[in-house]
Amino acid sequence: MPVVTLSSDSHPLCREIAVRTATALGYDCVDREILKAVAERHGVPETDLHKALEESPSPFGISSKNHARYLAYIEEAALAVLLKDNVVCRGLAAHLYVRGISHVLKIRILADPQKLAGEISSGRTPSFEKASALLKRRERFRRRWSLAAYRVDETDPSVYDMVISLTRIDPDEAVKTIVETTGYRKFKPMTYSLKCLKDKALAGRVRVALMDRFPDVTVQADGSSVVVQTKALEREKQKRTEAIKKLAGEFPEVAAVEVQILPDIFRKAAESFR
Amino acid sequence: MAGKLEILLLDDEPIVGKRLKPALAKIGCNVEVFEDPRQALDRIHQKTFDIVVTDIRMEEIDGLEILEHVIRKSPRTKVVMITGYAMMAVAREAMEKGAFDFISKPFTPDDLRKVIAKAAQALGSPIDSETATPEEPSEPAETR
Repeated sequence: MPVVTLSSDSHPLCREIAVRTATALGYDCVDREILKAVAERHGVPETDLHKALEESPSPFGISSKNHARYLAYIEEAALAVLLKDNVVCRGLAAHLYVRGISHVLKIRILADPQKLAGEISSGRTPSFEKASALLKRRERFRRRWSLAAYRVDETDPSVYDMVISLTRIDPDEAVKTIVETTGYRKFKPMTYSLKCLKDKALAGRVRVALMDRFPDVTVQADGSSVVVQTKALEREKQKRTEAIKKLAGEFPEVAAVEVQILPDIFRKAAESFR
Repeated sequence: MAGKLEILLLDDEPIVGKRLKPALAKIGCNVEVFEDPRQALDRIHQKTFDIVVTDIRMEEIDGLEILEHVIRKSPRTKVVMITGYAMMAVAREAMEKGAFDFISKPFTPDDLRKVIAKAAQALGSPIDSETATPEEPSEPAETR
């Protein structure tokens, strides 16, 4: 059966639809409750993981390095859950990193703007103008966050397989539609899509293992082969390659590691001015 | 269904059929290999196969057309799509049109045997995908 990821501009609404969809399908519902275990595993404050999912990096908040690290921890944990199949996943930004996998059904739920404005203004009902400005600001903020974190605009409908507006459709109908859609043949898991998900999960695990020492790494996996990309100065190339090969090679599933070192032009320029 | 599984294997690269035919024969399948999609289609119209394994990107007739022909002629036949140009949209289209499974190249003979075993199971005629001889190499087949 396909995996379902739900995202929404309203957390309470998303939670409600996710739980009801999972119940109707007999799936597990996975959301930010897993962050406690993620925080314990990596020895970071749970609140920081929540913040990383809500805030962009800033000089007054989470640094860029920690932001990327926290999101990598969350991604690793979420992918492990998605591999188990029969899951509805929400609140972990999975729709932004589980892309290109045919058996992952990505749904966006849009709340009624008036209700959403009330939710954001802590229960008060703002004027139409105020509500509209508030929602626009919030949308801009989420766009900026998702672009910074995953280079994907989460407000873009083309990211999703289905966008449901609850202004016109009630939650019961939305759940029914999602459940029906999971039955479509095109969302059925297949050898290829399961392999893609496994590759992503392995890449996520290797990246987490490398991130403490090499925060800028990107990792791609294809079966038992892993390609790691990082930036370094010419003189660091050999040592860095060896270190990455050693760390990535510790995963039993990894048979081959290719390290691609890109020139670190900023550090090179900084050194040349010294 | 009694006897051996009847499989048609279509790929315009000769090495694929050459490599995969013995791998499937080892698990007790009768395999007919084609490189020309037109000849494969003629054969599909003459004979009902249990499983059809077809490449997607081929000149003249692509694998998705083959899939449609097979499903129209014999809905019980399981069609396995293989491609070196796998993408989500094509994978979804193939599944929607009735493909049983979809594999991206390169894959090992063992990967294909597992899919064939799954298809055999779905046909109600289970086979053991691990009856291949141990000396057979498990590295990726030349199936790009």
